[in-house]
Amino acid sequence: MTERRRPIALITGATSGIGLEMAKRMAVDHQLVLTGRRQAHECAADLPPDAHYIKADLSDPVRSARHLAAKFFSLEPGRLDLLIINAGIGFHTSAGREDVAMVRQTLDVNLVSSIMLVRQFAPLLEASHGKVVFIGSVAHRGAANMPTYAASKAGLAGLARSLKSEWKDRIGVQIIHPGPTRTTMHAKAGYDPGILRKLFFSPEAMADEIVRRIKDDRTHTRISIKARLGRFILRRRP
Amino acid sequence: MKALVTGAASGIGKALVERFLDLDMQVVGVDREAVGNKGNLVSIRADLASRHDVDRLVVELKDHGPFDYVVHNAGISATGKFEHIPDEAYRRLLTVNTETPLVMTSALLAAGCIVMDTRIIFISSLSHSTGYPGAAVYGASKDAVAVYAKSLRKSLSKDRIHVMAVFPGPVRTDHAERHAPPGAKAERRMEPGEIAERIVTAARQRKKVLYPGKAANFVRIIGAVMPETTTRFMRLAIYEKLQRSVY
Repeated sequence: MTERRRPIALITGATSGIGLEMAKRMAVDHQLVLTGRRQAHECAADLPPDAHYIKADLSDPVRSARHLAAKFFSLEPGRLDLLIINAGIGFHTSAGREDVAMVRQTLDVNLVSSIMLVRQFAPLLEASHGKVVFIGSVAHRGAANMPTYAASKAGLAGLARSLKSEWKDRIGVQIIHPGPTRTTMHAKAGYDPGILRKLFFSPEAMADEIVRRIKDDRTHTRISIKARLGRFILRRRP
Repeated sequence: MKALVTGAASGIGKALVERFLDLDMQVVGVDREAVGNKGNLVSIRADLASRHDVDRLVVELKDHGPFDYVVHNAGISATGKFEHIPDEAYRRLLTVNTETPLVMTSALLAAGCIVMDTRIIFISSLSHSTGYPGAAVYGASKDAVAVYAKSLRKSLSKDRIHVMAVFPGPVRTDHAERHAPPGAKAERRMEPGEIAERIVTAARQRKKVLYPGKAANFVRIIGAVMPETTTRFMRLAIYEKLQRSVY
């Protein structure tokens, strides 16, 4: 009996939050290549056992995308079925006062790096009949306290829309906009959601939902609090 | 009254400078090319794709502020199939079109050059309503600017700082000429002078968004009602006519 080869998925920003939870869920039926800013030995214990890991700091977009692609080709030279652009950072500010360095870093990690990565992997994705999945944010329509973050996610949404059209039958394109999730991003961004935090998705529930939607293959989808209530009600049905 | 215009040497920027000067305002014009100093116009040369130049520029601008109008007009494009355009061209485009306006806004706010009653104007693109196969990264850079403007408007409204986003369709500029598909009709494009006048009028009236002209407003509505059909039309009109990459 020959074992069918598992699809190969690359997930960026997979050492914490939603990315890590997605990796855990997808490890069952995918060969994973994961990336993050942490050293390999620091995060090895958290990651699924047979996943590859590439350290890549996306705040230098052109260089890190090339480095990441070169490493990937040395691990999995022949194929890429799913490229999941998940890595992202955000800073919370009051009254639109953003620090210049934060503006540059947010755009570099969330938008510029994503474009560079897609450029590196597009030929391999096409040859593998693969798909790129962008993890956006419900903030892509605007967020008063995170203007640059919202802008970076709007850029991703625009990119996905145009690429979907350019690539038609060649490479799949999907963008998923998660709603508020209890990851460390809010603390890192300097924001305390207070009582609202109770309404947020857990990273586990959000990852469940994202993995499901990647299989659904709808081009553009938002995961809002409604989806959470829906699941909650369904689970309680006799 | 004082205005700051980036990309002031040509196209919409040049027309805006002329419009502001006609209104007897003092103008600071920023461009890679020389804008020329005459009367009320002060010209600063800076490459807005260079972080080094931008950092130097915002320091220099402190001596000229505060401004009544700040127009982030400078922009470049890259047309061609997404995968045919080099990394470096995308890096430049994303810096000029997205990073620099955001960085300048943050720095000018911190320096006190944007104050109560200042109008901050971002030039986005009508492609925000349509998607842009054939210039995917240009489209993304302009979507980012549009949503930044919308977000900033909410957070600055209590300081009575006004933010407007402009969504021009094709304008009769050298930029459009370079990037238009073969056979495109230049006479259908709007004159820079006309668009400049509409921008200044709308900014004075504290409009939040400006879709200049009937055609742009029509595309805005169609884009909102039938987004997929609109993008498909853009593919036919732009992407399938591409013969070469221009960046």
